[in-house]
Amino acid sequence: MLKSMLALGKMQFNQYNIYKSNFYLFTLNRIVEIVVYIFVWQAIYNQTGNAGGYTIAQMTTYYILVFTLSSLSCWGVNEDMAHSIRNGNINKELLNPLSYFQYYFGVNIGEMGFALVVGIATFIICSLFWSITLPVSFINFLLFIILILLGIPITFFFTMIVGTVGFYSSSIWGMQILRKSIISIFSGLIAPITLFPIWFQNIANILPFKELIYTPINIWLGQITINEIVFIIMKQVLWIIILYLFAKLFFNHAVKKVTINGG
Amino acid sequence: MSKIFDNISLYFSFLKASLKEMLIYRLDCIVGMISQIVTQLVEIIFIWIVFQNTDNLAGWNFMQILLLYGVTLISIGISDFCFDALYDIGPKYIRNGEFDKILLRPINPLISIIGSSKEFTALGYFGLGLFLTITMLIKLSIPITMILILKILFFSIVGASIIGAINVIFSIASFWTYRSNEVIWSFYRVYTFAQYPLDIYNKFIKFLITAILPFAFVAYYPTMNYLGMNSNMIYIAPMIMIILWVIAIKVWNFALSKYRSTGT
Repeated sequence: MLKSMLALGKMQFNQYNIYKSNFYLFTLNRIVEIVVYIFVWQAIYNQTGNAGGYTIAQMTTYYILVFTLSSLSCWGVNEDMAHSIRNGNINKELLNPLSYFQYYFGVNIGEMGFALVVGIATFIICSLFWSITLPVSFINFLLFIILILLGIPITFFFTMIVGTVGFYSSSIWGMQILRKSIISIFSGLIAPITLFPIWFQNIANILPFKELIYTPINIWLGQITINEIVFIIMKQVLWIIILYLFAKLFFNHAVKKVTINGG
Repeated sequence: MSKIFDNISLYFSFLKASLKEMLIYRLDCIVGMISQIVTQLVEIIFIWIVFQNTDNLAGWNFMQILLLYGVTLISIGISDFCFDALYDIGPKYIRNGEFDKILLRPINPLISIIGSSKEFTALGYFGLGLFLTITMLIKLSIPITMILILKILFFSIVGASIIGAINVIFSIASFWTYRSNEVIWSFYRVYTFAQYPLDIYNKFIKFLITAILPFAFVAYYPTMNYLGMNSNMIYIAPMIMIILWVIAIKVWNFALSKYRSTGT
């Protein structure tokens, strides 16, 4: 099972990689997005001597890491799912010896693999232009990696829930943009969560999205104590279970209603 | 000269046809508009956070920045609406051989392609932009005179057309890579730089968005004029637009002469 999932992942990865230009352009895109954020915060720092409670080097690192990780949390298999529902391929996917979830998790591995390559390239290129704060210790770096790995099932099940809406509505891309917007706001992608109003922080603390971007980066920067991290990891595991159950139940309910437009 | 007008009127008849097509998918259209507004709201939240940490950004206050943001969105809305089909040249036309059919038509292939744009969801950008612009003009107590309205109208169209020309120039990448969308997107995204005062950037980026990819003329210089900050740069914008379109058409025709069908 694992082997066929990895094979699916490899296929998806290669599909992206056919066009070498894809890799350069995705990376260029990330860098273009980073530039605005960094210059805005530098301007604020130069005027007020404070960059949202961080030093300017930390804030710069924050945004570079945000766009290193952003593809991991914003990309997903929604388009592939919507496509297969629309053209009837879903028939074959449901009859696969792999379950539907396993099939798409395999595809998702490839997607994440490519996102990781783009992310690392973005990080390396940015480190040539701006000075980056390195992780405060090796343990922090390991915890940073662990949280990112825990984020992968979270985004995957969330994507599956959004993808399942495709069984009811033929226009999935609006939902997908909504999914990305939710993640952008609650993960700390646009700005560190601590800069938002308190009521918003309270919501973000409950939701699992903060741990996709904000928390790992703050572990990297050494702003979170080890005790808190243990609690955060437990919270993430709980969320993985909740999202898994919800995605599965919703899918099982929806798949009974599937109508295929002639294939 | 009359040929140019022929082409423009042809463009509008194309537009009418695609408007009818879009009306069939009304729900998709509404969902699209809402999601565009939501993505922009995310950016506006960032601007709000910025002004929780400082009271001005290179001398611009919160409302002035929002005005700049609104004026940009108006132009972006118009240009997405008119030139969206440029993204499809690679994937939809060249890769599957559809482009050969277009070449057989007795009209300019560039007009054929941009005429088939139907990104009516861009009206979401346009609407939000208009709303922000009007609200901020009132809040900044700038008198909304007839002249100002005409100015905003004229320079928004000029701005949209500057973006359009830049997109046409980069769309030629699809003749070689067969996928124009990512190439255009990468360069198009640079417009976001010009949503903030130029003074926050270093020399390289200032040079980039005034001289190489002149997005600063889309909304930044016009907004400065509306705010009464620096009023002269705005008048260069129409000139930039004409120069860009001359380059764009030259480059496009050159790329066209190098076109080789994929054979599918």
